[in-house]
Amino acid sequence: MVTVNNRASLQPMVNKATTEFEPCWNTLRGALIDIHNKVVSALSFEHLYRASYKITLRKNGRLLYDKVIEFETQWFREHVLPRIDDLVANNLAGLSLLQIATSSSHERRETGEKFLRGIRERWQDHNTAMNMAADILLYMERTGPEAAVHPSIYAATIGLFRDQVLKYTLDGGQDASDHPFNIFDALISVMLDLINMERDGDVIDRNLLRQTTGMLEQLYDNDDELENEKLYLTGFEPRFLQASCLFYRGECEKLIREADASVWLRHTRRRLEEERVRCMTALPFMTTDKILEVVKTELISAKLDEFMALEGTGLKSMIDNDRLEDLTILYSLISMVDKSKSLLKTLLQNRVMELGLEIEQTLKNTDFSTAAVATDEPTEGAEKSKAQPLNAAAQQTAAAIKWVDDVLHLKDRFDNLLAVCFNQDLVLQSAVTKSFADFINMFNRCSEFVSLFIDDSLKRGLKGKSDQDVELVLQKAIVLLRYLADRDLFERYYQKHLARRLLHAKSDIHIEKELVRRMKTEMGNHFTSKFEGMFKDMEVSKDQSENYREHIRSLGDVDVKKIDLSIHVLTTNYWPPEVMGRGALQEEGTRECIFPPPIKRLQESFFTYYLKNRSGRVLTWVASAGSADIKCVFPKVAGKETGPLSKDRRYELNVSTYGMVVLLLFNDLGEGESLSFDEIQAKTNIPTGDLIKTLASLSIPPKCRVLTKEPLNKAVRPTDTFSFNSQFVSKSIKIKAPVLSSTSKVEGDDERKETERKNYQTRAHVVDAAIVRIMKQRKELSHTQLTTEVIGQLSGRFKPEISLIKKRIEDLLAREYLERIDGDVSAYRYLA
Amino acid sequence: MNGINGHTPEGKYITLISNDGFEYVVLREATEISPVLRTMLRSPFSEARTGRCHFPEIRAAVLEKVAEYFHYWFQNKDKDDVPDMIIPVEICLELLMAADFLGLDAKPEPTDREVNRGDNLAMIAARME
Repeated sequence: MVTVNNRASLQPMVNKATTEFEPCWNTLRGALIDIHNKVVSALSFEHLYRASYKITLRKNGRLLYDKVIEFETQWFREHVLPRIDDLVANNLAGLSLLQIATSSSHERRETGEKFLRGIRERWQDHNTAMNMAADILLYMERTGPEAAVHPSIYAATIGLFRDQVLKYTLDGGQDASDHPFNIFDALISVMLDLINMERDGDVIDRNLLRQTTGMLEQLYDNDDELENEKLYLTGFEPRFLQASCLFYRGECEKLIREADASVWLRHTRRRLEEERVRCMTALPFMTTDKILEVVKTELISAKLDEFMALEGTGLKSMIDNDRLEDLTILYSLISMVDKSKSLLKTLLQNRVMELGLEIEQTLKNTDFSTAAVATDEPTEGAEKSKAQPLNAAAQQTAAAIKWVDDVLHLKDRFDNLLAVCFNQDLVLQSAVTKSFADFINMFNRCSEFVSLFIDDSLKRGLKGKSDQDVELVLQKAIVLLRYLADRDLFERYYQKHLARRLLHAKSDIHIEKELVRRMKTEMGNHFTSKFEGMFKDMEVSKDQSENYREHIRSLGDVDVKKIDLSIHVLTTNYWPPEVMGRGALQEEGTRECIFPPPIKRLQESFFTYYLKNRSGRVLTWVASAGSADIKCVFPKVAGKETGPLSKDRRYELNVSTYGMVVLLLFNDLGEGESLSFDEIQAKTNIPTGDLIKTLASLSIPPKCRVLTKEPLNKAVRPTDTFSFNSQFVSKSIKIKAPVLSSTSKVEGDDERKETERKNYQTRAHVVDAAIVRIMKQRKELSHTQLTTEVIGQLSGRFKPEISLIKKRIEDLLAREYLERIDGDVSAYRYLA
Repeated sequence: MNGINGHTPEGKYITLISNDGFEYVVLREATEISPVLRTMLRSPFSEARTGRCHFPEIRAAVLEKVAEYFHYWFQNKDKDDVPDMIIPVEICLELLMAADFLGLDAKPEPTDREVNRGDNLAMIAARME
């Protein structure tokens, strides 16, 4: 038995065999010819395999390898190249390379495809043949010592196609003699030409293109067969990308000349899709990203800003005309090239700002015109469809509501854009929101206007409206509220407006509470604490009025029963100072109103009752905030026998508390007597402003003119005198004298300055408190840190100005809450 | 390498024929282990057309063992700890050469499981010797 240590020492199986190289090679050579001629079905694989096996066992593998290469090279020369020459005849290469302008694209395509087909056929034949050759040389491949050093026989023989055919230099014909080129160049030119033709709308043989690129994918730049050195990657793809780059650059320039962003958007989208499809049908898939990148760079990024800025079709026009589809495409394109979408973001923001400022501008113009109408012809100053004339204040209110409506409308539009076109993109959403906040806060009366809008909606708008409408209003209110930076200012206005609504029962208390509840979730507890206090006061007061009535009834006091008291006990801190009669503008407001004796008694009675359960409290009567129902009798006028004046007339007048106080004065007056303005003021001590209003409501509107004024005109002046209007007639029994002060209206410039001044004062206190709070906790802080922390703490309420903070710090230093740290000017220490 | 297998009859079995005319019918799938047989049955030569593979230099006793190995491999290819095949000592050397000829000395392909899934025929034959 033979000991076997190593395979190489084995003898071939058939010992008798005197296997020489030549016979075996001849067998294989014959087989190769048969393979090329495609007559193999009769050949035995085992037979051929055994031939290469034997040669390899004899250590002649290398020789066999070389022989095969040599045979194939020769085969190319003798059988393949002549056919290639045939193919290149007819000036084909010249045609495709030089792109002769006179040749139609149809001709070019025909010849180009013919050329590609020829190459493809040669390649397929060769590839098939070399597969079979590699199959029968399997043993040599597998075991020959050459296997490790040389490229596989398949790779080598396939590589021959590259060397022999693709690099076959053509003499170039008469046209291109100055620069020689080879089949490969011609091939690429034809392919690129075909692709460009397809881009221009021709129908080409995609399958042919696919197979040609497939060939380039199977071939390598050299025999090392590195994955990234495929002929496709080294030879074709770069040139393809470069050619595409030029193509799309030209196209983009053409599009910008046509200056229609809408066309551009659709065109670009189509191009992207086309290239994607091309990479699935005609080109290798791996090129997809690269070619898409080219399209994105050349068609989208390159001129994006110019397209967006186009007059008439650019971004501005898309937004203004609600061209949602355009915007949708735009968004999808921009998302591809720029994840941060900075350009779109900036442009959107600018547009929001522009539109926002436009609203303000329109408002100013509208304001001006209606105000002018109002002063010139007060009776015709009607706005919109309202029949009754609006006074200047009401028009201002209407302007405020218009502003809010416009802002909400704009917001709706952009919300819609974000949802429909921009995929609720967070970046854009926050950018748009920021712009909204910016322009809203740039409008210095935004806080007041928002509060007025809510006031108007709740007072008038909600009567007879469904829950859904109410919900809508609430939502709008909250949306606007979110944008406001100066929330403390809003709080001030809202408090004022809410107070009026509550005291005059102008709105539905449930809706009021719901709105405040939402504000609470949105802004936090401290923001709504005053409002809630107001609600609470209202509730408690209702009970108290009830109980007081009960109390009086139990006393059985008949005299006092004549006046029915309904009282609101208001806690000073919750209610706005204006309502509490402590408005800084009304300097006389501190003076107590002189009530007529019956009222005085009633007040005392209630106060006694009130103090039963709560000692040590002070009640201040705020006449300016109340109202009264008066039953009055107009005696029949002497001398009148017919008509309403001939009998006594009883009416119920609803007037303000001041109105009641004034009217009671006239009870004591005799027939024909009158009171001058000064007399009335002296007897009642009502502040001038309020008295003017009160007298105006009683003596000017025809519906409730229970006083006659001398002289008879449309305005009350301190020089006027008043007398009882015994001729007063009204169709209705209940008459409401319009209480002017209950209409919330836009503040005048002086008032607003005043409000701002007060707000500034409050802010100073708030900033003080914040600084002390922070310093108490941190003990020592630098100026910058302290400023930052203060701004952070107050951001929910308002944006404190740096100068204010600085001032407050200095103030606190002076009051010795803080001290400067020695040697460090810009750092502070807290002094306990 | 892509074999051109356009006209391969897709029978379930193929026939191995020894130099002395014995025929062994084996499951086509089971011969997958041999790269040579695999190529043979895919390349467009006569074997692929007929499904009959002549081995004029392998005698029946050896070819029988090869056929047995194909099935042994096929049955055990997914199992762990398979028993060795019994190989008569007198044919070991010839079997070893046949295994070499048929490419049955290949290492397990890296995609296969790491655990011992039976040695290849050449290793078994060499051990028996």
